[in-house]
Amino acid sequence: MPKERVLVAMSGGVDSSVAAAMLVDQGYDVVGVTMKLFCYGDDVPDRPCCSLDSVNDARRVCEQLGVPHYVLNLESRFGHDVIDNFVDEYVRGRTPTPCVRCNTFTKFRDLLHKADGIDARWIATGHYARVADGALHRAEDQNKDQTYFLWGIDRAVLPRMLLPVGDMTKAQTRELAHRLGLTVVADKPESQEICFVPDGHYTRIIEQRLGAETPALQPGPIVTGDGTYVAQHEGYARYTIGQRRGLPGGFPHPMYVVAIRPADRAVVIGPRDELIGRGVVAREINWLADAPAVGDTVQVRIRHRATLAAGEVVRLDTDEIEIALDEPVLSITPGQSIVLYRDSLVLGGGLIERAHHDDERPLRRALPIMAA
Amino acid sequence: MANDPIYLDHAATTPVREEVFEAMKPFYGPRFGNPSSTHRWGRDARAALDEARERIANCLGAHPDEVSINSCGTEGDNMAVLGTWRTLRAQGRNAVVTTPIEHKAVLAATHQVAHEGGEERLLEIDKNGVVCTPSFDALVRDDVAVCSIMWVNNETGVLQDIPTLAERAKARSVVFHTDGVQAFGKVEIDAKTQAFDLLSISGHKIGAPKGIGALYIRRGTPLEPLLHGGSQDRGRRPGTENVAYAVGLATAAELAVKERESHWATQQRLRDALETIILEHIPDAVVHSRGAKRAPHVLNVSIPGTDSESLLMALDLRGIACSGGSACQSGSITPSHVLTAMGVDSTLAAAAIRMSFGPMNDDATVTRVGELFPKLVAKARSMAAA
Repeated sequence: MPKERVLVAMSGGVDSSVAAAMLVDQGYDVVGVTMKLFCYGDDVPDRPCCSLDSVNDARRVCEQLGVPHYVLNLESRFGHDVIDNFVDEYVRGRTPTPCVRCNTFTKFRDLLHKADGIDARWIATGHYARVADGALHRAEDQNKDQTYFLWGIDRAVLPRMLLPVGDMTKAQTRELAHRLGLTVVADKPESQEICFVPDGHYTRIIEQRLGAETPALQPGPIVTGDGTYVAQHEGYARYTIGQRRGLPGGFPHPMYVVAIRPADRAVVIGPRDELIGRGVVAREINWLADAPAVGDTVQVRIRHRATLAAGEVVRLDTDEIEIALDEPVLSITPGQSIVLYRDSLVLGGGLIERAHHDDERPLRRALPIMAA
Repeated sequence: MANDPIYLDHAATTPVREEVFEAMKPFYGPRFGNPSSTHRWGRDARAALDEARERIANCLGAHPDEVSINSCGTEGDNMAVLGTWRTLRAQGRNAVVTTPIEHKAVLAATHQVAHEGGEERLLEIDKNGVVCTPSFDALVRDDVAVCSIMWVNNETGVLQDIPTLAERAKARSVVFHTDGVQAFGKVEIDAKTQAFDLLSISGHKIGAPKGIGALYIRRGTPLEPLLHGGSQDRGRRPGTENVAYAVGLATAAELAVKERESHWATQQRLRDALETIILEHIPDAVVHSRGAKRAPHVLNVSIPGTDSESLLMALDLRGIACSGGSACQSGSITPSHVLTAMGVDSTLAAAAIRMSFGPMNDDATVTRVGELFPKLVAKARSMAAA
């Protein structure tokens, strides 16, 4: 039987390198691919982009494994689907997670299309998550679990996904990298940054795309919940819900960003109490399993690495879901994802539209349950 | 073997020829001397170097002192453009004229001229990539330091009438450079009867190793060196000479000149045969520069409804090595500046595949690629339509 071909998305990091090595070992016909997603400064020789090294590392790993490696230019689609949206979300006063859209649109749609082009039955990545029987599950390593970023992919893609490192801990992955002689990548430090914002200054991207005059980067008022003017800020896009750093002092208790209002460019601050959320409304829902029903209890995650919180589905439309949380949660942030779990199974997710701060649970309303 | 991979990328580079490898070997052994040394090892190396220079000169119709051996085509192009302009700018010749379809080496050197205060002028080309004569006459004036035009384009194979253009430049007392990297071994080059002042060639396109090239410099051509150091090559190109590679280049150059006509005939036959098959099976395929004279080894074809990146990957996985536009640092393909300058629309430019023939190809190449390519194209198109 001919070996089944798998396209492996390789970032040049240890996880995807080990994923590729494991698949070679398991007898797959591996094709390594590194996506070029934004400008690498090809016309700026004196400023080679850091990511160029990553491409070279991925290529070296593939050479070592004896499998082909290609660089695919997905720059324009990534720019449209991920970077433009990232900027738009900040302009709307929200805090985006671009990795979600990259997985949804770039890796598991555009790159999958490339896999089709070379007759690859499978697509693999170095994500810490597990796929079994067409369902997505949390990773073995709870500290590394990356399902928070994967809720948006098309459910039909799950049966074609291979996530070889999802059964291992990060430490085991590194150990395996050493054992396999992947010295180029074995001890590479973890990247925590957004790939297209390597220096952490995301406002620079907003400025590049929209110009320094964009309202999101213009001065505006910092106000308290009752409308009292406190100070001026240098652009609401620099703030996120729950942020404390960079706010004026002089209050009896610590103050946090509790809301961002693009309409009047206001950044609203308040004491910790005002960050407490008891419910979440989310939109752009995507299901990776059969949708829960109103009244079902689920576990949710409202931020990467946040502890799972139990809640109840109180409303469910085609494009909107409302969850009442059993225990209050801090800093529910519009634009971030909410991911729903039942035990290890990822049910699906959506984008947080707003939090409920009321003491009382939102009323249960009997609405038709839409088919997933 | 029916399943052996096929190399169809000779315009990118060629394997080192057996004869070249043999000729270089002694210089990795007993003949290791530094040509600048006065002792017997030095004299031996110097003799070999001088002989190599003379042999290269013979291949170009040049005097040995007109041959400056360097590291590559890029170095020759840079020295020609920047070296001439830096020498002549003070004499009221502040402009550099070139075409938008040059190799990046000439284009980037010309940008550097602009960066240093010079003027950059780009000639008009027609849809086949041929330089328009009226544009040449309008731009090549007595305020021009150097005019640089590529003899054979590396992406499309389009051939410029360099002897005529060089004469026209000479009539205006403008220094004329031609990037002859793809032309050498393909077209007849003779500095005695042709009027170019500077010509760059590269070893690895003709079966010598990567890292060796030469710049022909007509006697009396004003030229400032790029590097500063010792007195090697009359101070034009300081640095200890790579004798082995110089001997390799000389050997490869002689073979290329000797085989020029027969290789032209073979490559043209193979290229035209494959082109015919492709156009038969894919009637809407666009062969670039087809309406002009082309060197025989290049076939650049765009398939509407595909993208070269995906097609190249599919071809490579089936064992066929071609290339797309120009690869950037990361190795990803960007739409070719050459095709774009020829007015090819960006979607079509992003669907270009360059196949380039050479010693590793024969009739079996045409048969196999002719069979496989249309199939892969059909598949790619059905995917794009889905």
